[in-house]
Amino acid sequence: MKCEWVRENILLFVYNELPDDARYELEQHVARCGDCAGELKATRVFHATLSSLPVEEPTPNLLTASRMRLQEALETTEQGGLWQKLTFDPWAWLRQMRFSPALSAALLIVGFAAGIGTMYSIVGSRSSSTPQIAESTPSSSPAQASISGIRSIIQEPGSDKVSIKYDATTTQQTEGSINDQRIQQLLLFAARNNYNSGVRMDSVDLLTQKPDDTRVREALLYALRYDSNPGVRLKALDGLSSYVKDDVRVRDTLLEALMNDSNAGVRTRALQLLEPVRADSSVRAVLQRLAQDDKNVYIRSQARTLLAQLPEID
Amino acid sequence: MSGSGTQDPTTRGHMAGHTTGRIDDTTLVREAQRGNRAAFEELVRHYDQAVLRLALHLTGSESDAQDVYQDAFLKAYKSIGNFRFECTFYTWIYRIVTNLCLDQLRKRQVRKEDAPVAKDSEGEEYDVLSQVPDGRAAANPERDLMRRELGGRINRALEKLTPRERMVFELKHYQGLKLRTVGEILNTTEETAKNTLFRATQKLRGALGDMR
Repeated sequence: MKCEWVRENILLFVYNELPDDARYELEQHVARCGDCAGELKATRVFHATLSSLPVEEPTPNLLTASRMRLQEALETTEQGGLWQKLTFDPWAWLRQMRFSPALSAALLIVGFAAGIGTMYSIVGSRSSSTPQIAESTPSSSPAQASISGIRSIIQEPGSDKVSIKYDATTTQQTEGSINDQRIQQLLLFAARNNYNSGVRMDSVDLLTQKPDDTRVREALLYALRYDSNPGVRLKALDGLSSYVKDDVRVRDTLLEALMNDSNAGVRTRALQLLEPVRADSSVRAVLQRLAQDDKNVYIRSQARTLLAQLPEID
Repeated sequence: MSGSGTQDPTTRGHMAGHTTGRIDDTTLVREAQRGNRAAFEELVRHYDQAVLRLALHLTGSESDAQDVYQDAFLKAYKSIGNFRFECTFYTWIYRIVTNLCLDQLRKRQVRKEDAPVAKDSEGEEYDVLSQVPDGRAAANPERDLMRRELGGRINRALEKLTPRERMVFELKHYQGLKLRTVGEILNTTEETAKNTLFRATQKLRGALGDMR
């Protein structure tokens, strides 16, 4: 029965879908049963074979072209749903109330007021500046859809002023404090989208000065997971280091880097940063796996050392 | 980490920012429902790269992926007023995208297309794996050829799956989502998603068995 249960759950084990207790039971069984160990190995090999089909990131050009095409379409598309309920066909409401004159009058007044209020809201939102969300005006607030690339990011030594060169339809340059909203937007864009790894590294480096900002932390997590340059991923790691204890997302992303990053330096650094939270059950599970069968001698040895420092689980 | 999307993460979600991003999404969705287009565009930027990556890997074509991207976000824009926060925006947008991709996969099945190659945005065909940058390719052309053949076999095996099996497998294996999330996206239970994954894997092992 045990072998049967194990074989039914081996796939979930490889995909890390088992609860911790089931995972532990399966590991214990496989350590004693040669047949099941063989099946686990075969499933892992098969999993790795399928993983050899790459999942390519969309190129910056493809992403930019898609965004621009969408933006053009949005110019001429009307929203439905809530808008239509507020402004569409008040006569249908009145027809329902034709036998109730007082209610009809009340509804007419309410409908008229709602229409006026809606129009005020439309006019108000279009004319006012939107301090939280940047409009697409190249001279004042650059929006991502009008930017085709970031050329350079330069911080003035000894100050928080940053000069960023970016391409819209022509090359433009803006300067401002690192705390400036538009500078932040450009840095966030550069961290995710720029084809030049040097520019991405500069932007991630500057963003690490403000990792409290949720958007910045997301950008750092994204860089750690997806950036093709190991230097950029290392910078992102350093920027996230103070959040490993308190932010489970950061911890999980570091575990992911530790397990799967192609660069040994990134993996080693992730392992160092996870040391203060080694008692976490997910961290412990990963350390156990690394200690058993990681190909990197240093990482295998460090994982064993960290596990040896942990108290036994009852 | 780059080059392969099969992270097999010990994580609760493959996309960075999924959990705390929900707070920002709620504010942005409410703004977008009030007609703030910039808020909607910001929402788009939270997810569009992942959407495009999924569409590209499933369709194998840049132009088809762009069409899915366009249709998905336009649909979301038109119907965002009906969004009632019964699920996250992430789940909602992924539902729209997966439905569009399922339609594409079903159309391909009807036409019995065998697509070992993909098309770029200008309609030119190319081998999917030929786009994978590999600095070592020039030094080892034999290994490069083996990789391409392997990729071709895997693609042909994936095409033997039903559209739903293909979608579950794609979301779990290549996009790294949890089965619970896969179930939510496909409007089914985690158990059903699990069973679909088992079926898909068995079919793939049957098709690729001699590669073990």
